[in-house]
Formats: sequence, C-alpha cells, structure tokens
Amino acid sequence: MKALNEDLGEQIVGLLPRLRRFARALTGSVQDADDLVHVAIERALSRSDQLRPDSPVSSWLFGILRNAWIDEARARSRRKRVFAPEELGESVADPSGHQHADVISVQVALARLPDEQREVVGLVLVEGLSYKEAAEIMNVPVGTVTSRLARGRDALQAMLGTEGATHASHGWPGRDTPDRR
Amino acid sequence: MTFSDDILMAYADGELDLGTRAQVEDAIAADPEIARRVAAHQALRNTLRSGFDKVLDEPVPDHLIAAARATSRVRSENRVVVPLRPRRARTFALPSWAWPRWGAIAASFVLGALVWHFGTGWYSSGPVIERDGQLLAAGALDKALSNQLASAQPAQTPVQIGVSFRSKDGNYCRTFQLREHTSLAGLACRDQDKWRLEALAQGEGSPGAHSDFRPAGSALPPAIAQAVDQEIDGEPLNAEAEARARTNQWRGPQ
Repeated sequence: MKALNEDLGEQIVGLLPRLRRFARALTGSVQDADDLVHVAIERALSRSDQLRPDSPVSSWLFGILRNAWIDEARARSRRKRVFAPEELGESVADPSGHQHADVISVQVALARLPDEQREVVGLVLVEGLSYKEAAEIMNVPVGTVTSRLARGRDALQAMLGTEGATHASHGWPGRDTPDRR
Repeated sequence: MTFSDDILMAYADGELDLGTRAQVEDAIAADPEIARRVAAHQALRNTLRSGFDKVLDEPVPDHLIAAARATSRVRSENRVVVPLRPRRARTFALPSWAWPRWGAIAASFVLGALVWHFGTGWYSSGPVIERDGQLLAAGALDKALSNQLASAQPAQTPVQIGVSFRSKDGNYCRTFQLREHTSLAGLACRDQDKWRLEALAQGEGSPGAHSDFRPAGSALPPAIAQAVDQEIDGEPLNAEAEARARTNQWRGPQ
C-alpha cells in the first residue's frame, strides 16, 4: 500500500504541470489555482483506493480537482453571505476592471463564462480531452458536454472577436446561469 | 451539403468518425463559408491552448511537489496544514501508536508557529494548550471563540472570527484567524466547556503569496474551508443564531 501510494505520488508529480494549467483555467488566478491543486493532491492521496486500474490517472485527478473546485465555489458563496460587508469589498477584484472592452485576454474571457461552460472549455479546449473523457469527469452525458461546449465557444468568440459567433442558432448570449461575479 | 455547427465543432475537436470527417473535408473544399466556420473553431481552440500552454513551462512550486511525495499528512515547509483530529477518530479504532504521535507532530508544528507568532510565554497565556493529546484553545483565542460575534468584532482584535455553524454531531464550531505577523487560521469545535482545535493552516499573508484576483471570502485557507465542508450540518449560523448560541454558552446536544 505504501509503495502504491509512493508510485501514485510520482505520477501526480508528473501531472502537476497539467493540473496547474487546468486549475488556472478554472480559477483564473495563480494563487487560487495552486491552492486548488494542493487540495486535490491531498484528496487524491487519501483516496488512492478509489483509483480504478482501467481508467487513466490523469482523468481521475482532473475529476478530483474539478470536484474540489466546485466544493470551494460552494463554500465561498456560503461565506459571502456570512462575512462582514467590508471584508467582501476589499478583496473583490473584477477581472474585467482594468481591461478595455475590446481587447481582453483569453484568460479574462474564460473567467467570465459560467462555471459549467468554463469547466468543459478547460477540459476539451485547454487540456485536449475527448468529449467522452470530459463527460466522465463532469459526470454528465456526452450530449450535455457538446451543448455546453457550443455555448461556451459562442460566448468566447463573441468576447474575443475571432470571426464572430458561429452558433447563432443557440441564441447568444445563451447563458443559462448568471455569471457569479 | 450542409452541416450543423455541432458537427463542424466536433470536426475541429477531432471527434468525428472517419466517414463523417471525409464528408466535412469535402464540404470545406467546396464551400468557403463552411471552411470559414471550421477555421473559426480551430482558431478558438488554438487561442485557448496557447493562452494556457505557458503554464506548462512555469516551474512547479516546491510545496506542490512535496505534497505529492509526502506520505504523512503533515507536510510542506511554509504552508502548514495540520488536521488535528483524524476523521471519525472516536468511532474507528486507530492503531494505538497513531494518535499520540499525531498529537506530537501536530503540536510541534502548531506550537512552533504560535511561539514564533506570540513570542515567549505561551505556556502561561498563549492561545493553545495541549491536553491528553488534544489541542484546546486558551487565552485570547478561547476568549474570542466564546465571546466574540462575527457581526461585531472589535477593531484591533487579535483573533478574527469567521463562520459559526453546527457540526454533524450537533456541536458548535467556529473558524478563526490569528492576525498580525502570520495568518494562522483554524477551526475549533465546542467540546463540553472547551474549544477543541480541529484544524489549523497557515493562510494568506505568507511571504510570496500574491494574487491579483483574490475572490471574495477566500480569506480562509482551502484546508480550513475543506474542514468546514466536512463538519458542517446545513448552513452557517446567521448573526441572530450566533448571538443565541453565545447566550447559551455554545452548549450542544446533552
């Protein structure tokens, strides 16, 4: 068991650059992303018995990281309701605050997507996973992956101004959840 | 031949079977509009990829490598994360050596940090004491946990109270942060007439910690937020319930 855990530890070390990249896509912040990766590592090591030999370690870790991100977002919205107002005010940073409307970076555009679109864009477009792998990580049908991905792509293309939106039939802005910022 | 945009998107993402892919490629050759739409999908894919690929070239922080290689759960030099009580410790039998050693490891980390934080003399008036392998709040920390309301904190308080809630076994728990010099954060739960420390972690404010886009309410380190998520039953107390709990001296189920 110990040897198995050490082996898993080395596999995690090898995947850290990709985990950090995915976390960066989800959180939009260097510090938050690394905090998230740290939590995911600890969860993975404490749940190594849940690792299936027939599925890749990378998918399993992306799933743990994604779930930790969702937990953290949920806890954060709960804390927002109980923390004093001045404490909210001083640390809120609107990523769009310092940007011109017509020139935004891909990171800022991604941060503006609703969570459920951001995670699928992160998995498929940033990490290059297949729709099927993304569906398994997000625990949704493949059809849900394609529809969220299509909406996320539309929104990104509209924000980044690359060739305009091509999914006009989906009805841009097509956001089914309000942006949480 | 026309294609839905979902098909063109799937083509750009390499998701089509060979036959459909060949049909799309014929259509691209024949129809500039389809070629333009496919190119837009491919361009966006490249934009996302190149926008984040530079993360792969960054050096991975040492604390993450150490965390992955650690076999103990107490790890890392400047991001101390100390689960003070193993989950379900009271219902699952642990090896007899486990808990005393845990206590010693946890105590050395925590107390090291607190000694540094509060200077000498913590034995008499410091914020933490050890008793029977458990860490209990004392001094200013004990006082703040028992008396301070999150909705009405003194301006110069050395202890900032965060969230209060009922744990799954019915006891009251509160998060806190020790200010000045270091930002040690923790979770304490009421155990009869004491506050037992459930988790401690070094939060923000550590040297080098820096973030431009610090989201609201993220002042608690993730390890503490995670401990809250594991312990909490329902929602945190609002100001009224918090005041009522204080009046009842944080008594849980009898």
